[in-house]
Amino acid sequence: MVTSLAGTQKNGAAEAPPGNPLHDRSPEPPRRRRIRPERVGLYGLLVAAALTALFPLLWMLSGSLQTQDELLSGDHFLPNVPHWQNYVTAWTDGDLGTYLSNSVFYTLTAVLGILVVSSMAGYVLARVEFWGKGFITFVILAVMIIPAPAMFLAQYRLLLDLQLTNSRLGYILILITSGIPMATLIMRSFFVSQPRELEESAALDGASPLRIFASIILPLARPGLAAVAVIQGLHAWNEYLMALVLFDDNGLMPIQRGLTSFNSAETPQQQVLLAATVISVVPVIVFYLLAQRNIVNGLGAGALK
Amino acid sequence: MASLTARVRDRRTLRRNLMALTFLAPAIVLIGVFTITPFVNAITLSFQSWDGISLDTPWVGLQNYEFVFKDDEFWASMKNVAVFGVVGFFLGNAVSLGMAIAVNRIRRLRTFFRTVFYLPGILSVVVVGVIFLFMFEPRTGVLNRLLDTVGLESLQQNWLGDPTFALPSVAAVFIWFHWGFGFLLFLAGLQDIPEELYEAAELDGARAWAKFRYITWPQLAPVTTIVSLLTLLAALQIFGTVQVLTNGGPGSHTLVPTLLIYEEAFTNNRYGSAAAMSVLFGGALVVLSFIQLTIARRRADK
Repeated sequence: MVTSLAGTQKNGAAEAPPGNPLHDRSPEPPRRRRIRPERVGLYGLLVAAALTALFPLLWMLSGSLQTQDELLSGDHFLPNVPHWQNYVTAWTDGDLGTYLSNSVFYTLTAVLGILVVSSMAGYVLARVEFWGKGFITFVILAVMIIPAPAMFLAQYRLLLDLQLTNSRLGYILILITSGIPMATLIMRSFFVSQPRELEESAALDGASPLRIFASIILPLARPGLAAVAVIQGLHAWNEYLMALVLFDDNGLMPIQRGLTSFNSAETPQQQVLLAATVISVVPVIVFYLLAQRNIVNGLGAGALK
Repeated sequence: MASLTARVRDRRTLRRNLMALTFLAPAIVLIGVFTITPFVNAITLSFQSWDGISLDTPWVGLQNYEFVFKDDEFWASMKNVAVFGVVGFFLGNAVSLGMAIAVNRIRRLRTFFRTVFYLPGILSVVVVGVIFLFMFEPRTGVLNRLLDTVGLESLQQNWLGDPTFALPSVAAVFIWFHWGFGFLLFLAGLQDIPEELYEAAELDGARAWAKFRYITWPQLAPVTTIVSLLTLLAALQIFGTVQVLTNGGPGSHTLVPTLLIYEEAFTNNRYGSAAAMSVLFGGALVVLSFIQLTIARRRADK
């Protein structure tokens, strides 16, 4: 599914050359320069939707650069002079350096863990016949249905018993576990679509399964791994509920939890909180713009297996 | 001779099973410990009483469930979340589908619009909450100021503080936040519909509506099933956005079950009744997914 979606994206989403018969659905003959009202309406709708999607973000940016007086007077749509000082205050008062590096650490380790665990599991489910395969596939599908509201309380209690609350390890284990089912299914469908010849010849040469997996399978699985990595990376970065439940210690909190803690504990001025929020969003937006195709493919692969 | 090949085969089968087990072990252990165990524990805990600290968790039978069934807040939260579910299911999915069709009809700037439309979807619930808290502010918020600028002061509201408007406002934020996801999946689905179908329909003189009704809609059905289920589940599990925007208020006008479970456990220290709520609500979600997936499978078999 990953590959087939990647295929459609390549053909469909990239701008098709004008006049391509496959993409021209209009009943009228092409190449008429008259602007049709229907087109205007269509683009009008799309531009309006784009503005709706972007405006709140731009508004946050504008607010984050205003002084408190400007913000409270309520008659500035843009700051007179960009007040960058808010960002400095946010960074130091909000302790964003700590939260951001925590988030980077949690995200990277969780993604790495998910990749290792789910590529191994997905490979076996795609290629090997073994006892209980149907049952294990069923369990992995079934746990995807269990919603967070049914579990987070008991997960908290379990980690409390294991003395893993307020712990980096505990949080990472939860992040990894929550990513495994979907990532395993994506990897499985990826391996199903791959040819078997290479590994079979390696097996004839007497290489061990683990060796074959590490040196032949994994390098070839890079597109599948990338799709899993970007989606799980976004999930881990944005995770909030378990971070809320598990952490009391500010030094361990990821950025999402840190933002709410900053918001409630120190009652910062609004423009400073906005600046802190902008800082937390910038890495995600940059990542999104860079890894866009992977994100789109990964989302599709995850949902439409 | 036959027994020798059989033994070789047996040994190979054994080795294959052992290898499969080794490769699956990390996944099985993690899911077993951190997903299945808590899932079972939540059910056990719902028949016990626990304050969150003491080591002792006495059995109390159905007391927690009795308490929850009599709890007005629980039913208020269920009612609110049903509103989110209905709004997300109908309005959210309609917006996603409509915009996917619109983007699928243009040739230029497709990637641009796709990128922009999914942009809100990559934000965290906290970020979305902070942004809209700022925009909905009664006095300085941009929404009321824009209404003032265009001379519609009479429409100004205390968006998040007024019992009438709080729930619709949060629902609007949810749709803004979430429609891009369905949009992406619908768009991928539309691009998979063979162009020949539309060409044949055009030869027969089909109008836009007929093409939608007899080609797009049935061809898109599998995607529609998945998207609507995922949107519905996301709407029903809404938590962080509500917590940051209103924390369930005013009163309990925007309270949702996940937030109530959190409050019941971590603020009121009644973990038993919180567990009972999570069993009732989580169970309802599981049943819902199950029903919809069964319907989808039956339709696919046809």
